[in-house]
Amino acid sequence: MINLEQLKKQALSAVKSAKDAKALESLRVRFLGREKGELTKILRSLGTLPLEDKRKLGPQANALRQELETAFNKKLEELKVNSQKSGVGVDITMPGKKVSVGHLHILTQVEKQVRDIFKALNFSVVEGPEVETEYYNFDALNIPKDHPARDMWDTFWILQNRIKNQESRIKNEKMLLRTHTSPVQVRYMENHQPPFQIIVPGRVFRFEATDASHEINFHQVEGLMVGKDVNLANFKFVMREFFRRLFGEDIKLRYRPSYFPFVEPGLEIDIWYERGKLRRPEGSESRPKASGWLEIMGAGMVHPHVFEAARYNPRDLQGFAFGLGLERIAMIKYNIPDIRMFYSGDLRFIKQF
Amino acid sequence: MKFSFNLIKKLAPGKYDAQTLAEELNLKSFETAYLGNDVLDVSVSPNRFSDAASHLGIAREASVIFDDKLADPLAKTPKLETGKIPQVKIQDSKLCPRYLAAYAEKIKVGPSPKWLKEFLDTCGIRSINNVVDVMNYVMLEVGQPLHAFDADKLNGGLQVRKAKKGEKIETIDNQKFNLDSDILVIADGKGPQAIAGIKGGKLAEVSGQTKRILVEAANFNGANIYQSSKKLGLRTDASTRFMHDLSPALAALGMNRALALLKETAGAKIYNPLDIYPKKQSKKMLKLDMDKINRLVGFNFKEKDLEKLFAKLGFIKEKGLLAVPAFRNDIENLEDLAEEAARFADYNKLPARAPAVALMAAEEEEQVLLKDKIRDFLKGAGFSEVYNYSFISGSAAGIAPKSALSLEKAAELANPISGQFAYLRDSLAPGLRRNLEDNLRFSDSARIFEIGKIFGSAKNGIQEKLILGAGIIGPDSLLELKGLIDGMLNQLGLADYSMPDLNLTSKLLNPQESLRIETDEHQVLGYLGTLRGIKNGAILEIDLEKLLKEVDEEREFEPLPKYPAIIRDLSILVGSSARVGQILNLLSGFNPKIVEDVDLADLYEDPKLGENKKSLTFRIIFRADDHTLTDQEVDREMAIINQVVADKFNAELR
Repeated sequence: MINLEQLKKQALSAVKSAKDAKALESLRVRFLGREKGELTKILRSLGTLPLEDKRKLGPQANALRQELETAFNKKLEELKVNSQKSGVGVDITMPGKKVSVGHLHILTQVEKQVRDIFKALNFSVVEGPEVETEYYNFDALNIPKDHPARDMWDTFWILQNRIKNQESRIKNEKMLLRTHTSPVQVRYMENHQPPFQIIVPGRVFRFEATDASHEINFHQVEGLMVGKDVNLANFKFVMREFFRRLFGEDIKLRYRPSYFPFVEPGLEIDIWYERGKLRRPEGSESRPKASGWLEIMGAGMVHPHVFEAARYNPRDLQGFAFGLGLERIAMIKYNIPDIRMFYSGDLRFIKQF
Repeated sequence: MKFSFNLIKKLAPGKYDAQTLAEELNLKSFETAYLGNDVLDVSVSPNRFSDAASHLGIAREASVIFDDKLADPLAKTPKLETGKIPQVKIQDSKLCPRYLAAYAEKIKVGPSPKWLKEFLDTCGIRSINNVVDVMNYVMLEVGQPLHAFDADKLNGGLQVRKAKKGEKIETIDNQKFNLDSDILVIADGKGPQAIAGIKGGKLAEVSGQTKRILVEAANFNGANIYQSSKKLGLRTDASTRFMHDLSPALAALGMNRALALLKETAGAKIYNPLDIYPKKQSKKMLKLDMDKINRLVGFNFKEKDLEKLFAKLGFIKEKGLLAVPAFRNDIENLEDLAEEAARFADYNKLPARAPAVALMAAEEEEQVLLKDKIRDFLKGAGFSEVYNYSFISGSAAGIAPKSALSLEKAAELANPISGQFAYLRDSLAPGLRRNLEDNLRFSDSARIFEIGKIFGSAKNGIQEKLILGAGIIGPDSLLELKGLIDGMLNQLGLADYSMPDLNLTSKLLNPQESLRIETDEHQVLGYLGTLRGIKNGAILEIDLEKLLKEVDEEREFEPLPKYPAIIRDLSILVGSSARVGQILNLLSGFNPKIVEDVDLADLYEDPKLGENKKSLTFRIIFRADDHTLTDQEVDREMAIINQVVADKFNAELR
């Protein structure tokens, strides 16, 4: 009769001694092969047996088939592992298969870092138009016409001048490319009531000759916090938090008086750089030094005239505003020597970040 | 602006050296560098020219910083003669609020003494002769520009008036200018002898032969000088100062100082000056509101300390108020007083304190979030981000299919930096196309994108749109972009859109290989197509503001399929002009009850198939949502599909 027990012994010992996958495969064919496998034949022959034998042998034979399949698979895994260990199969020293990876522009990444820090400090993020009216870019910010203060911002004017713009308050107002993100201060205040704190990232434009540290378009982040009692001490706190998170806990800051017509008092912030620690953009000063203060931000308390332009009552409100250049931060943080690289579209540059 | 440390120290004697002064000025007044050799370089801010663009002004800052005395350069006033008073008429006192003029006689014009020469050299001014040098010295010392005319070369009385049409002047440095009626001049009976506040004329120049001079110390309207200086393209030390709005009080100070020095260095006989000052500057009075100052700064200044500070700065206490010194025309309000208090206290020493505000969730504008999502998606899809200039050349304007971005025409700059950058970009395509070409030098494939503003000029103003552009060089570039759009729009939650033929010619795209992206309401979101002239290049642009209106973030769970699917392939042979999209559309819409999805599995073209034939294999997934499909059901459906496809597309089943 059919001796399943013997077949089992035979098969299991053969599997155990199989040397490689090929030998194992021929054993599989011998015992489990679809056509002539020994166990397959037995299973097929079950149909010819009397019902009683069928009932008895059927489950046994099926159980054996499962047991053998498990044994084959287990052995196969074992052999695979062994063959890899001995260097046959995949050459694991081959270079990895290239995965196509995209890179976000470094300025996008720096903007995101800045946004994330300010969001964590409860600042909301808004944007504004790049083509501006003379009113929002200058007049509303207390930058007088025909005063050299306006020369602090070299301006690109749009040829189709004195167009009728529905938004414009002044008839036939001239249009320009915004020279800073500060116009959004007034635009935002016109539509929102304090208290609030916002930042405004965006592209700005300057009519000037380009070199390693000057570009005709670049990016700023404007900040504005307004409330009943927002004061200079609060400004210093927010800045300290921001710069620590951006450049690290041990960043050193210096505050200096400065002048921007839309703030009073007006300040600038410097950070301390040391060669090898914080980087300094080349061309930013004629004599490179090993260490020194590097100007990084302009700021101040919002000028009452700016509140008035937004139809706020300056006696009821206080606030601070600040602006920083993203390119400058990226150049310092990542040791990028030339601002023009940001606009080169050169993937060899972009893919470094 | 260059300053002599020695003179500052003379005016504000104290125990400090140049380096210390520079450091302290940096922290409390203006950006300053000590350049060595007695030279301090101070960036006086534009609002402080009236009080601080002078050695006296910087010395005043130093006297506060180091808590020392400030010397008065006018302590010695010269004895003045009476009797000879110049004749001067002012036509418009708004443009010339104050005019002082005095005669000085028996002048011996010659070289300046050594100390004066050295001082001027430190400040970067060339020594001319003792008379001119005294004028310049006084400007540097007290901040008031002066002018000296050779009185014997003047004809009759002086007039401060606007130039007449056609009038000309030759200045002392031999430049010739045509004047117009916006430009203020100092004229005598013959014509303009100086461009007011800007430069003196050649005719009445002080020379070696000069015996009598007329000294001018005037105040001019800043805006007018600013405009005239710009118009003439002539910027001088004097015009730079005047255009920043000087206080009329400086004019008298300057005159007195000049007369004293002329007597001292040129042995002149000095006459009492004429002083025309019709509308006196009103005195500004401010309340020292300690509460408001402390609230603004967030610090507890003591009233006593601030009173002392403002006294040192020249403020005078009157009836409980502070009278602002005449030369401080930057001080207008309490915030300005707070600035004086805070900067001399040193911003670095003031406290930092967390703001106390009501907690409200920070938000980001929808547009900001959309940009983030798109950037993340494209980065994941292997695209790298570029930034291009917002400026393009005239020849790059208008190359993209216009109506796809619905801009009228490119906006031109009034003052472009160069022809290459004469227009505002009306499409991201010119930049992206150039990036693709440039990167071909280093790599044979590229995947890039940019998100930025484009601009158009329309009747009612400047249009500004936020656009996504992407470009590829590589095999199947167009289809990859098409798939990219599907993936992106799907992720953003926009399902109802299509990409039909663009049907527009443009310089940018190959006409047979361009599509528009539109919603089912025929709102055009953008375009895509292969690039003319760049092998395997394709590009797309999508209007993100329009897209933002279409995307729908709301999603709802769909039950996973309960019953198994049956997959069948349909292989057909069709003419090579047959379009896959049409067959796909037919199959997809065939029997939605049991056809779940259709995809193109294979496309094969070979001459062996027969002339102008291609073989297509579609994979059809059948599934019913209420029972397990049987082979018989699917076979029946396939038979119908076969028949319809064969009839409709003249296809041969394989």
